[in-house]
Amino acid sequence: MNLRINGTDYTVADGSGRLLVYTLRDELGLTGTKIGCAAGFCGSCTVMVEGVARRACLTPLAEVEGKAITTIEGLAGRAEDGSVLLHPVQQAFVDAQVPQCGWCMSGQIMTAAAYLSQNPTPTEEELVAAMAENYCRCGCYHRIRRAVVAAASQSAQVDSKGAV
Amino acid sequence: MSDKTAKAPENAAGQPTGRSRWRLTRRGFLIGAGIVAGGVALGYTYGVPWVRLQVAGVFDGAEGPPGSFPKEPWAWFEVLPDSRIRLYLMKVEMGQGVHTALAQVAAEELGIGWSDLDVAQASTERDMGDSLMTSGSSSVTGVFEPLLAAAATFRSMLAGEAASLLGVSADQVVVAGRSFADSADASRSVDFYTVATSRAEWEVPQEAAPLKRWQEYSVIGQSLPRVDIPAKVTGQAIYGMDARMEGMKYGAVVRPPTLVALPKSFQAGQAGEVEGVIQVVIADDFAGVVAESRAAAQAAVARIDATWEEGHRWQQAELEQLVTVGESDGVVIQEVGDVSRWLGDGATLTAEYRTPLAVHTPLEAQAALADVQPDRVRVWCSTQGQGFVRGQVAKAIGVDEKIVEILPTYVGGGYGRKAGWEVAIEAARLSQAAGVPVHVGWTRAEEMRYGYFRPLTHHLLSGRVEKDGTLVAIEHRQASGDVAFDFLPPFMSAVMGADFGAYRGATIRYDVPNKRTVAYRRDMPLRTGWWRALGLLPNSFAVESFVDELAHAAGMDPLVFRLRNLGDEGDSGRLKRVLQAAAELGEWDKPAPSGRARGIAATIDVGTPVAMVAEVSVDAGSGKVRVHKIAAAMDCGLVVNPDGAIAQVEGNVMWGVGSALIEELVVEDGQIVATNFDRYPLLTIQDAPEVAVVLVDSGDGKPRGVGEPPLGPVVPAIANAIFALTGQRIRQLPMNEARVKAALA
Repeated sequence: MNLRINGTDYTVADGSGRLLVYTLRDELGLTGTKIGCAAGFCGSCTVMVEGVARRACLTPLAEVEGKAITTIEGLAGRAEDGSVLLHPVQQAFVDAQVPQCGWCMSGQIMTAAAYLSQNPTPTEEELVAAMAENYCRCGCYHRIRRAVVAAASQSAQVDSKGAV
Repeated sequence: MSDKTAKAPENAAGQPTGRSRWRLTRRGFLIGAGIVAGGVALGYTYGVPWVRLQVAGVFDGAEGPPGSFPKEPWAWFEVLPDSRIRLYLMKVEMGQGVHTALAQVAAEELGIGWSDLDVAQASTERDMGDSLMTSGSSSVTGVFEPLLAAAATFRSMLAGEAASLLGVSADQVVVAGRSFADSADASRSVDFYTVATSRAEWEVPQEAAPLKRWQEYSVIGQSLPRVDIPAKVTGQAIYGMDARMEGMKYGAVVRPPTLVALPKSFQAGQAGEVEGVIQVVIADDFAGVVAESRAAAQAAVARIDATWEEGHRWQQAELEQLVTVGESDGVVIQEVGDVSRWLGDGATLTAEYRTPLAVHTPLEAQAALADVQPDRVRVWCSTQGQGFVRGQVAKAIGVDEKIVEILPTYVGGGYGRKAGWEVAIEAARLSQAAGVPVHVGWTRAEEMRYGYFRPLTHHLLSGRVEKDGTLVAIEHRQASGDVAFDFLPPFMSAVMGADFGAYRGATIRYDVPNKRTVAYRRDMPLRTGWWRALGLLPNSFAVESFVDELAHAAGMDPLVFRLRNLGDEGDSGRLKRVLQAAAELGEWDKPAPSGRARGIAATIDVGTPVAMVAEVSVDAGSGKVRVHKIAAAMDCGLVVNPDGAIAQVEGNVMWGVGSALIEELVVEDGQIVATNFDRYPLLTIQDAPEVAVVLVDSGDGKPRGVGEPPLGPVVPAIANAIFALTGQRIRQLPMNEARVKAALA
């Protein structure tokens, strides 16, 4: 079967019941998507499917065949000179020096990026609610809040420019 | 600056490269002495009770054993072909920012540009001394001076060689980018790599090069951005769970049905029939499966026929009964004055506190990739103690330790839990049996049930205070399961009697003329062990809550009371200053917003005093406590990276809030109930407080521990705020909705 991940087509063995998180990590070597609880509680494995946040640990391959899957490895863009251009959420996490151990961070970033693409002008309460199902055991919550608020204010600017 | 550990395992990060031309001409001395060994030797000479008190004094609140570090610069540094200098570190990066902080220390004395320095995780192949453990808030404090000396010596050796290549005197060469230049003629220069490769042998100067005075530091003290963060926001950072290599397979291991079960027999049963199974591995004490996928390995393990001696089915209430202070079996770990003269009938107050079992549950579960070959064993794993892992793996698979290499990856949450070695042994045993590289990654259920835990604790406190607020006597008797002993040679427990990890933070730090602390060791029917700050959290909860009770009993403001009972000198003065700084930051002298109240607490751990003011509200209907703000003041001395130190305070606050309000691991019918976060939820961003931090520097140029001390005041500050708001003293953790609601009823 065919999976479209970060704009690249991958052919994987048939077996539609397999879970996306293991296919990404163990079959395709895309270990940027992490695994935390394998039951949908912690959010470490969050990816985007057609721009919407999904828990890869609860997602059978059959549900994403032929759909656009984005993982943390595919979130950043490229500048004209070929250098990596971080997504505004990634940049905000760097600016606020958010990660400690970093294991949950792919999921945090994908959750925030997906949410801001749906709702570019959220209130802080809405943002915090959107992040409320992503655990961080190191306790970077203080900085996650700071970073997602900063990323939202940037996405709001982009959105208002787009509207003009 | 990039961190090459992200490329492991393929590039075998940490191995000395073949290009290196450094050769030893003289063995350097390993510096630093083990406090443990010294204390124990004294014990047999002077008698056990005396030494127990001395050893307790060393372990409680003081800095831990420094370990030993290499003096030879080439153990630490390598000049890369592009003339960047690579720093090898034995300390692992688990989010505490140690790779960045230690790079700053090296850069300070190397005198090179920040972007010209590269950091790499050393594997055990590299001779980095005996301190192959990352724990105890000791990474910066322990490595600081040896690394400064090594960096200064390395620079002076290279500069001397550059001077002779340029034909000038040593004091005439200056660093210019990745080269040394002639200060009289900048067009004449020689790059670091050319200098480093110009000789086959180097003589290490007998005396270390002179070091800067701390007042002259320019790199140390800056909030430089963390070197590991770019890889962590782009998914490039490699952890033990991510370790991959050609031809690797996946392993899973049979687990016991109860806390105390012992295996009677294992038989392959139907396990081999699961599609994708490569080998079913059966031993007397171990059974597992190697398969093409994790799913197949886990499905097959469930089909192995295992019979068990299940043993007693422990219940929660029995564990609490077990961990209870006794009458005569305690070990005195602090004795000042004579408490018996003042307490008993003369006590103003007595109180009893309890804390529950808890689990670290790092979001990256235990993970290791082992490749066991006849003449070479390599294990990539998420570990805080690669030195211990090497020895344990060698023993478990029956090979010489010399052929075993442990390659630490980034650690996806340590908190003491990654100081174990079980998963590395499991991967190695399966790899040895199947003849292929095997990755074992624990499931969340395994992480919840089969590691080691924060023990239950029980505390009895008694104190006497005069009407003017002068403390006369305090006694703290505490019972706990082990914290350190499970990881140490058995003679340690025989000599010490009580576990120094369990009583960390238990002693009374106020200037009380009569004080006594007694520790009761309790043998629990499950493994208990290393935890962030060890016993600091439970002990601080009990002691600093009780001190608050004494303040209220004397009718005094809890801050004024604490200040009154602390002197101005030494640690007392430092505690006093952080209390004052936290009070100012937390607006202690102003009324709290409507419906809220504040509590204060202060502790000192590994030489670092920390004070916090917590601002809370309580929903009277549900009993839910909300921590709105924590204002923290910490005196960790000379700070290498202030933003990194602040991040550690923030992380400790969140850990403490979760422990204070939510976390409790429950045992029922012989087994831990939780298998995932539904039965062991963690703090979320919605319940996370705002955190403000001020760093107070006592100004002696000495760095002190940061990773754990801020955990001390969090829980009691919250408990004290709940009392200030509701008049109810909660003496058992967690202060969850049910418990608070019951207290308010």
